[in-house]
Amino acid sequence: MSTASDRLLVQQIRQGDERAWEHLIARYEGRLFAFIHRRIKDQAACEDIVQDSFVGFYTSLPNYDDRRDLQTYLFTIASHKITDYLRRTGRHPLQQTADEGGELFLHKLAEQTAASSVARGQERRELESTAIARALTNLLDTWRKQGDYQRLKVLELLFVKGWHNKDVAKFLDISEQQVANIRFAAVKKLGELVRADGLPADVFPELHV
Amino acid sequence: MTTPRELLESYLDDALGESETARLEQELRRDEELRRRLLAVMGERDRGEHTVGAIWRRHRLSCPSREQLGSFLLNVLDAGLRDYVDFHLRTIACAYCLANLADLQAQQQADAAVIQQRQQRVFQSSAGLLRKR
Ligand SMILES: [Zn+2]
Repeated sequence: MSTASDRLLVQQIRQGDERAWEHLIARYEGRLFAFIHRRIKDQAACEDIVQDSFVGFYTSLPNYDDRRDLQTYLFTIASHKITDYLRRTGRHPLQQTADEGGELFLHKLAEQTAASSVARGQERRELESTAIARALTNLLDTWRKQGDYQRLKVLELLFVKGWHNKDVAKFLDISEQQVANIRFAAVKKLGELVRADGLPADVFPELHV
Repeated sequence: MTTPRELLESYLDDALGESETARLEQELRRDEELRRRLLAVMGERDRGEHTVGAIWRRHRLSCPSREQLGSFLLNVLDAGLRDYVDFHLRTIACAYCLANLADLQAQQQADAAVIQQRQQRVFQSSAGLLRKR
């Protein structure tokens, strides 16, 4: 979700307000620079890619939906620019692997990186995505309010990192049974919330009890 | 541990931290089977399939706010949240939060003038866009 202050900035930039543009740069340049520097060590190249990202943002403004989180949107653009740069300069780590046609592979990667929203069946995907996000937010908020970060860690390792129960248990120094219980309860709750949203929960294999 | 599918998804989302990205790319270069798996995941994404993990990352459902990251740096968060933020940065290695943290650190430590100059360069070479309209 974009903040009110971000939305105002975007609105002013759309009207050609240079001060607003300067503010946007001051607000986001640093984190974009750090995000890009994670992949590319050359300072000058990083600056160029930051520059490209802002220009890319400006060019895409007519298609930008204000409800989208601005920071995430800028990071997505930067991801594309990083892949473009690495490919163009022949420095992409996967470029040397020419099987399956390395160039095709990278082309696909450039297209796909962080751009999962352009896939087919967009509308259905958006519905599913919103329902899951809402259900998860509901669940995570409950835990956060209770200060129960252990459950949050378990679920994040399972879903976001894709770890197995036994690895999660070992890392957090709890039993596999406890991990299994947390997963089971969370999946059950998520299923209920998604179904309450009018969607079948079985689209996601991860949510099969 | 075999490479979890979700790690490949995260790579395609460009959501991995620096060392995890480097490690995975090294593995991908070495391991043809893993490259095949990555291609398969790309194909599935093309067909519109998505995972709970990908939605979680895209919506940044567990990311601390920038204010919380600032408080983390100043060491003024309560113990539970501080421990969680540390986990999110170190173990999850969330690329977006790590970028925000690095930025906040740079603002605290580095030469403010250096950052300002950098931002001025970006501004000066892009502000023309707004005039061209
Ligand atoms: Zn994060």
